[in-house]
Amino acid sequence: MHMYTMLPFFTIALGVASIAAAYYVVKIKDLVYASVMLDVLASIIASMLALIGYGIVAAFQVLIYVGAAVMFIIITISMIGARGRETKEPFLGFITGTFLSIAIIIIVMGGGLFKLYARPGYVSPSQAAAGLLSHYFPVIVLIIIAQAATIIEAISISKRGEKK
Amino acid sequence: MMALDTLTGAVVMVVSSVIMGIGAYGVASSRSLFRQVLSIEVIFNGLLLLVLSLLSFNAIAATYFGILIISSVAAEIIVVVAIIVAYLRSTGSLSSDELEEERA
Repeated sequence: MHMYTMLPFFTIALGVASIAAAYYVVKIKDLVYASVMLDVLASIIASMLALIGYGIVAAFQVLIYVGAAVMFIIITISMIGARGRETKEPFLGFITGTFLSIAIIIIVMGGGLFKLYARPGYVSPSQAAAGLLSHYFPVIVLIIIAQAATIIEAISISKRGEKK
Repeated sequence: MMALDTLTGAVVMVVSSVIMGIGAYGVASSRSLFRQVLSIEVIFNGLLLLVLSLLSFNAIAATYFGILIISSVAAEIIVVVAIIVAYLRSTGSLSSDELEEERA
């Protein structure tokens, strides 16, 4: 059997795994384990992105999101420690989550948006880099400035609450 | 091949909708600021999957979109976590209920 015909089955398997990981993120009591499950979820999403044809975005997801951003959350929560009792309103959450899911499924399936999906063509890293530098150079400069400002902002905010 | 693509697209979009619903459940049900941030990140992951599958007719634009959005979200996480750490240091609490009470 050709691997391409197996694509929907791999997608279903990864989809089930990602739903389970998302469930554990919101359900596990320990926040450190919950953030580790977020890391797992982001890794599974990256594999799904690679599977449906976005290899470069998947690499970015693993390098920047999984490797830096979520690791930052894990380390912060580990250092601070989960304090206090966590109050929950499961009924309100259930209503909100179900409503959002059903609304999006109705829009996507009822509106026929799922037919828009066609396996994307191959985008080489050099092609993506050349396009980014030629068409989106101002955006890249803005993002670099924003990220530098963000780091300074984060350090100053964290310092502000420090008890002397 | 077309039918396989349609099936794959349908599966990806339904999975992303369910993931976003689970994230919304986490945001609405919990009163812990860190749990709410984690749930918002779950919503982001579902949304990224949904938008990239919808933009699949233009692979290059979708790739640029994905790269720029992931970079922005990585910066956003750092600021939000820094704000929560500052709030925790000043009040000693991680509850969003107490945040509302303080504001009132």
